[in-house]
Amino acid sequence: MNRFGKVLGGAVLMAMLVGACAQGDGGGEGPTFIYITPGPIGINKFLELGQLGTQRAAEKLGGSFRTFESTDLNSRRANIEAAVEDAPDVIVLTTFEFTELSAEFAQANPEQEFILIDACPETETPIENLHCGVFREHEGAYLLGLMAGNLTESKQIGSVVALDIPFLHRWSDSFALGAQTVDPSITDSQVFIGGDNPFSDPPRAKEQALAVAAQGADQIFAVGAGSNGGIFEAAQEVGFMSYGVDVNQCPQAAGSIVDNNLKLVDNVVEQLIDGILAGTAEPLTSFGLLEGGTGVMAIGDDLASSECLIADYPDIVTQVQEAADQIMDGSLTVPDPLFP
Amino acid sequence: MFEQLFDSALVESVVRALIPILLAALGGMICDRAGVFQISLEGMMLVGAFAAVAGSYLATSATVGTVIAMAAGSAFSLVLAYGAVSRQGDPIVIGVAVNLLALGLTSFLLPQLFGVRGVFQDPRVDGLNRFPIPFLSDIPIVGPAIFRSTIPGYLAMLAVPALWVFLFRTPIGLRLRGVGERPVSAETLGVNPTQYKYAAVVASGMLCGLAGAQLALGNVVQFSENMSSGRGWIAVVAVMLGRAHPAGVLGASALFGAAEGLGFRLQGNGLPVQITDALPYVATLVALALARKRFKRILELTAA
Repeated sequence: MNRFGKVLGGAVLMAMLVGACAQGDGGGEGPTFIYITPGPIGINKFLELGQLGTQRAAEKLGGSFRTFESTDLNSRRANIEAAVEDAPDVIVLTTFEFTELSAEFAQANPEQEFILIDACPETETPIENLHCGVFREHEGAYLLGLMAGNLTESKQIGSVVALDIPFLHRWSDSFALGAQTVDPSITDSQVFIGGDNPFSDPPRAKEQALAVAAQGADQIFAVGAGSNGGIFEAAQEVGFMSYGVDVNQCPQAAGSIVDNNLKLVDNVVEQLIDGILAGTAEPLTSFGLLEGGTGVMAIGDDLASSECLIADYPDIVTQVQEAADQIMDGSLTVPDPLFP
Repeated sequence: MFEQLFDSALVESVVRALIPILLAALGGMICDRAGVFQISLEGMMLVGAFAAVAGSYLATSATVGTVIAMAAGSAFSLVLAYGAVSRQGDPIVIGVAVNLLALGLTSFLLPQLFGVRGVFQDPRVDGLNRFPIPFLSDIPIVGPAIFRSTIPGYLAMLAVPALWVFLFRTPIGLRLRGVGERPVSAETLGVNPTQYKYAAVVASGMLCGLAGAQLALGNVVQFSENMSSGRGWIAVVAVMLGRAHPAGVLGASALFGAAEGLGFRLQGNGLPVQITDALPYVATLVALALARKRFKRILELTAA
């Protein structure tokens, strides 16, 4: 290969690695935002919501935004570099896949404001220009538990969880707590997917769910990220009711999923952008039901079109709404299993 | 407690865990007999799973998906065949590379073809049907698990006796074993070792493709990144534990399947995940120790 060929080949390779793809409306006078995803948005609702939040903030403030979609680790770095070069008002990053990169770039570029959603780097002193938005997942999980407590006929519920780590007990323990609030005699069984690939092993998750169901549980919380599809398949095969996480997973197995522990990424992005522009944003903000950062479909506006089973139980929806109101006005506190 | 532990659901769970491992391990066994150390079962199974889902999605047919998975597994195995047989490379080094390539390639193609990352699930992906055998599938406990299986499931069960006959009762099987044990002698007798080794590696690719199809269209109906999740490595161990004999490989695969299925069930009964996760490995160590003891006794008997 001659030298030109090598350079050309290198350029093509670089283009493939970077894979940065910009979209959104450029120009305009107002503030500018760049939203960087860890992977292609595709049909990923979580990443879609991040874009929606950025878009809403931009429209509200008369500004503009662009989206940089990454494909892998290299393109994530390249996208942040390109965004920093562009110097928008705020760079929005989502998920733990940006934990290290966000700290590195925020420290190297103190003038640039960053947002990181659903993760936060652990540093000795908070980074002033990096604003993390994290979720109080236990509140939504508790509400799902209330539903399960009402719906269970066998008085046995369970959770299929990716790993036995304290963070994920926010989901499973709070789910059990909610159910046992309805009826203290309800028994809870938590199993962990484990193995080599706990967050992306649907066959293993399915077997776990089938085993929990075979022992009598009829309400099973799917806390397995990429493994959840296997749990929903089990729900459709043997007929237990399941509960999803992060986004509305009900359409994935319509008729088998009661509700979901939602992370309303769009609201969190919007509020953090507002806070940064107003100069009030903290390095770390936690979002729960009160802040509109978490929720369940039952108390949202889209319940009727959600394909979630809970829509068929208006009595339970009322009860969940009451509990949600109590959590929001502070008269009911859901203990955080992560910091007991 | 025992009624709660042992029921047909548990046996079905064990058989489902066993079949992908068994198919891959039989492939590894053929290679072992031909003198190629095959550790790329994991990668070929992953490629098979991806090809199965992609094929089933594009043709909306599980049969097409399964055939494509076998073709993709065979094609992918040529990397090892060329490197280890034609170029005389170290099969372990090449096997590791093949596994890494499989993971990278499928993770890369997933967003390219389907615009998603992590998991691909779609109603258009057609799952494998189960074909119950009349009467036999009504046998309590084991009936539904064994005689209500998918095509790859039945193929796996039939492959065990078929491969035994092939390896030990046919001239081609004899030549294959000869190539593995005494390549030089085999060559002087007019057998072409390269041909036999190639065939063995490609056969293992096909079986791993079938294992992937069972995993991604039978056990579940979806593809997720790195979904072989170590099952191919368990199969490598099953080949060694079963001493590359069809019955031994079946026994070892059953042991791992049982350890996994039982582990899931015991977790529901309160055993910590850290212990149940270790069960397959504990089972391996115990089985190795027992096999060694028996082996020693046979040695003593033959010496006497």
